[in-house]
Order: sequence, then C-alpha cells, then structure tokens
Amino acid sequence: MAEIAIEKLDDLRFRIPRNESAGMRTDVIVYANAALLEHIRRDQSLVQAMNVATLPGIVGPSLAMPDIHQGYGFPIGGIAAMDIETGVVSPGGVGFDINCGVRLARSTLQESDVRPRLKALIDQIFRDVPCGVGTEGRMNIGRGQIDDVLRRGARAVIERGFGEPRDAEFAEEGGALKGALPEKVSDRAKERGAPQLGTLGSGNHFLEVQFVERVHDRTAAQALGIEEKQVVVLIHSGSRGLGHQVCTDYVALMNQVMPKYGIKLPDRQLACAPICSEEGQSYLGAMAASANFAWANRQGILHFLRGAFRRIFGDSVRLDLIYDVCHNIAKRETHVVGGKKREVLVHRKGATRAFPPGNPEIPAAYRAIGQPVIIPGSMGTASWVLVGQSGAMEETFGSVCHGAGRVLSRTAVRKGKNAREEQRKLEDQGILVRSETRDGILEELPEAYKDVDEVIEVVHEAGLAKKVARLRPMGVIKG
Amino acid sequence: MEFELLEHPADIGFRARGRDLAELFANSAKALVWIMLDPEHIEPKQPIQFSARAGDYESLLVSFLNEVLYLVDSRRLALATFEIIWLSETHVDCIAKGEPRDIKKHPPKLVVKAVTYHQLKIVQSGEEWIAEVYVDV
Repeated sequence: MAEIAIEKLDDLRFRIPRNESAGMRTDVIVYANAALLEHIRRDQSLVQAMNVATLPGIVGPSLAMPDIHQGYGFPIGGIAAMDIETGVVSPGGVGFDINCGVRLARSTLQESDVRPRLKALIDQIFRDVPCGVGTEGRMNIGRGQIDDVLRRGARAVIERGFGEPRDAEFAEEGGALKGALPEKVSDRAKERGAPQLGTLGSGNHFLEVQFVERVHDRTAAQALGIEEKQVVVLIHSGSRGLGHQVCTDYVALMNQVMPKYGIKLPDRQLACAPICSEEGQSYLGAMAASANFAWANRQGILHFLRGAFRRIFGDSVRLDLIYDVCHNIAKRETHVVGGKKREVLVHRKGATRAFPPGNPEIPAAYRAIGQPVIIPGSMGTASWVLVGQSGAMEETFGSVCHGAGRVLSRTAVRKGKNAREEQRKLEDQGILVRSETRDGILEELPEAYKDVDEVIEVVHEAGLAKKVARLRPMGVIKG
Repeated sequence: MEFELLEHPADIGFRARGRDLAELFANSAKALVWIMLDPEHIEPKQPIQFSARAGDYESLLVSFLNEVLYLVDSRRLALATFEIIWLSETHVDCIAKGEPRDIKKHPPKLVVKAVTYHQLKIVQSGEEWIAEVYVDV
C-alpha cells in the first residue's frame, strides 16, 4: 500500500485530504501528537478512517481520536456524522458490542480502608459478579420480561430490585435510549443475551477497584463527589451476546440490501443502509434496544458489586453512581456544521460523548462542569475522569477518545509470558488480578496498549475535554 | 495443519486449510471452537444438525461460522467434529458432534462476539483451499 499523505495542521491535529479517486467524500482529521501518530500509522486504522469518508451522506470530516486502532470496517476510536435525510447508518460503525461503555461509582471508603482487606474484597467480587465466560448471569430475567428491559433499560432492572432509583439519572440518556424496538431484535439475539444479563464478558472488559490518585480540577472533582485517596469502582462492559447477535444479524441484512440502494463500499464490514430506509430504521430500533440491554447489564453488575462491598465492609458502605457513558453507539443529535444547525446521526465507534458545560443532556448536578467522560486505561496503569469542553462541540460532534488504544495483538503480547508470573508482577505494584480465563490476564497486559496519559493529554490540550482526576487500579476482575 | 492463528491489533483471526471446500468449512469451525474453549476433552457424543445460507462462498462461511458461534455461546455446546453433508455456493448443511459445555472439562478461553467480513478470503492454492477469517473478541 502507498504511504498515506498526511498534512500537519498543528501539534495535535493532522489531515488526510479528501481523495476523490479513492471515493472519499470528505477529509480525515486525526487528533494525535507526533509519537502517537507513529503508532497509529503502523496498522490499518487510517485506511479504515479513509474508507469511512466514502460513506454516503457523511457530514464534516471522518474523525480519528488519539486512541484509534484497527477495527473491522470502521476503525476503533473513530467518529462519523451522517446527514439524517441523505446519510446511511452502518451497524459496523457502532460495533458488535452495542453500547459497550463505562460506569464509575464512588465509594465511601479511602484507599487506607480498603488496602488491608483488598484480597478479601477482590475474591468476594470475583464470586459475586459473574464474568459470564463459562457461567450464566444471576438476574433471572426470563424471555417474558426481556422486552421490558429492551424498552426501558436500567430502570426496568432497578424496579426489579437491582439498584437505586437515582442510578438511572446518572447514566447517559437516563439509562434508556428512546426509540427502542424490541420486535426488531431477533429471537436468537434475545435467547443468546437473556442469560448473560448482569455478566462482565471477556476480551477487554473488566471491573476495577481504584483510588483517586490525583485531582487535576478541584471544582469539577467536588461536583462529582470525589477527592484524592477515595476508592471508586469502574465497570467496563456492554450488551453481551444480545448486542453481538443484533450486529451480526443486521450486517448480514445490509450486505444483502446494499445493491438495492446502489451503495458500493471498499469493505463489506462497513455494510450500511439509508437512515430513512426500512432496514435503517429497523436497525436503529434494534440498536437502541441493545443499548438499553447494556445499561441494564452494567446496572446489574453495580448491584452485585454493592453486595460484595457490604459483605466485606458492612452495611453502611455506599457505592454511588458518578456517571455511565457509552462508547459504541449511533445517536441522532443536532450540531452546527459550517455555521448551520444540522440533524445528524453521530456514529461513535470507540468514542465517548463529551458535551460541554450547560448542555441540557447533562444531569443537573454536573451541568456547570460539563459531561463526565470516563476513560478506562489498561490493566495496571491508570484510568481518567474528564469533563466535556466546547472544543468537542465545535470540532468533533461532541466526542472524544474512549481508552488507551491497542498497539500489540493478543498473540504478540502473550509471547514468552507466563500468566502467574505477570499476575505476581502486578501484585508487586499493589494490583490484584483475578481472571476467569488463563489468557485473560496476558492478552490485556499494559504493554499491549498505548500510554493512556499521552492520549488524554492530546484531548485535553486540544480543548475537547478537560482532565479532572487520574485513577489508579488496586484490584482487577477480568473475564 | 488444519488451521493457524492470525494476528490483528485488537482481535484475532485464523487461516484454515482443507483439501476441498467441505473440509475447509469443517476446519474453520474447529478453529473457531479452539479460540473459544479448550477442545482437548470434548467427546463427540451428541449430534446436532444445522445449516446456513448466503449469496456466495465467503458470506456463506461467515454465516456458517456464526451458526457455530450461536451453538457454542448460546446453546452452550462444546463441539468436536463437523461433517459437511451438503455444500453449494449458497447453502451448507452440517452435522456437528459434541456435548454440553462444562467449565472444568472444556476450560473457556475467549468470548467471541462475532465472525466478521474483515479481510475475509477463500482462495485455492494448488491442491488445497485456504480461508482467512477474523473474529471480534
């Protein structure tokens, strides 16, 4: 493949100009520093961002965040907005894990309270929160009740006793995306997903007990109710088999119908249909239902976590939800493009919404500071809490990165390593790890990822989101 | 060799081989099971018949593997053998044999979310057929 021509716009922004002979309808803009860009150029992610620029109805540039890495069809860490009338919706632009996301809750404990009982706590969590790799969930939501979960998301399970009423208020979209159509979700997807509700999953999904290592913005931290040394928990999971099956079903359907709409694409995994078509609308209804399943899933996990904390620290300990963000989703939003307000469908594939202060979508308690953005780092390094800034609204359809971004494949990172030894190394750094699978630890080792601090620095310096706090892991549960 | 693993920055793939397309499909199914669980002790006790349809051989392989994924992930079966009883460009019938999944007997490895069309390939090279498939984990 020929070297991709990249123009430097400034220290944090790079452009791949529109190339009509490659079918591109718009530019690609990459947010990165020079070192991260070197990493990014090593895989196919920029070619994939260029392929996204060929999609009909794309508005503004195809955007690449500093954590971008090669995905399937769409790159992971990419954003694309489509005109609501002339644009397309692509299930691959949302991903197989619909509403994969992150939930952060603050505890009433300090690092010094937890450290002496960390092992007991992590073992208890490992027992109480099913990973779901070889086991089923414990929420017992039967097939008769699944449609209610798909329609109402987090609230449907909170009302069944899996949480507190305030939890839903502190999730993006109130824990339920409007327009869910459970009847557009196949029976097979429901059958595959229902027993997995309330389970973590494997791959890069995890649950961490962390402490606030450093506060960078006191006002915002205060509004979020966190201070240095406070213990928090982070849950990274999605819509499990239900969302995976919905994406599988609709990628197959859209591959069949694309000729009908005269759509030709460089990669079949980008399969799409017009937003206004029957297939496009069915997918969006099924996607919203899957997103709601994911919020119910993370809600169930938080409920089981609360139980584990109470078993170790007594009934007075609390875990209050700070916020819950999704980073694999397509959402109908209004944005100003070229000075004009436009209705667009924003595909965020491995990208987090980051609305600035004052936006009505943000819970009232946080409206003055901006939407909380939770960025999970790799196991053993750090995670971050940011808040959205006006730059995101002006440049990136109100979006930022979603994680550190992989640099090494699963097979490459595993080479020559022993799971027990790596577990011991992390323990020496004060991080206990439990995994349901032997390879789970090895494949997600910190060296498989970019430096999360560097990724965060780019979005902070670019004015897309502001640093609030850096979180350090103490214990990790992996699928 | 029936199959080997392929690297991907975030996920995983495999290259399967077969003397004909039927063997290629069967070996691809074995590769997928190998990624999900330890297949060493699976006993081919219980037969299960399934089929898949699509517009061409490549899409058919994705549909077929997504059926295998459904049986392993949702029906919780550990599958050891795959006998292709009918194969055309648009239709495949298969009888797989295995047993219910048991976490101790077949330790789980990775949850596969889906089989993708990413860099999907079926080619004939000399006397053998080769498929390259990537899965999302």
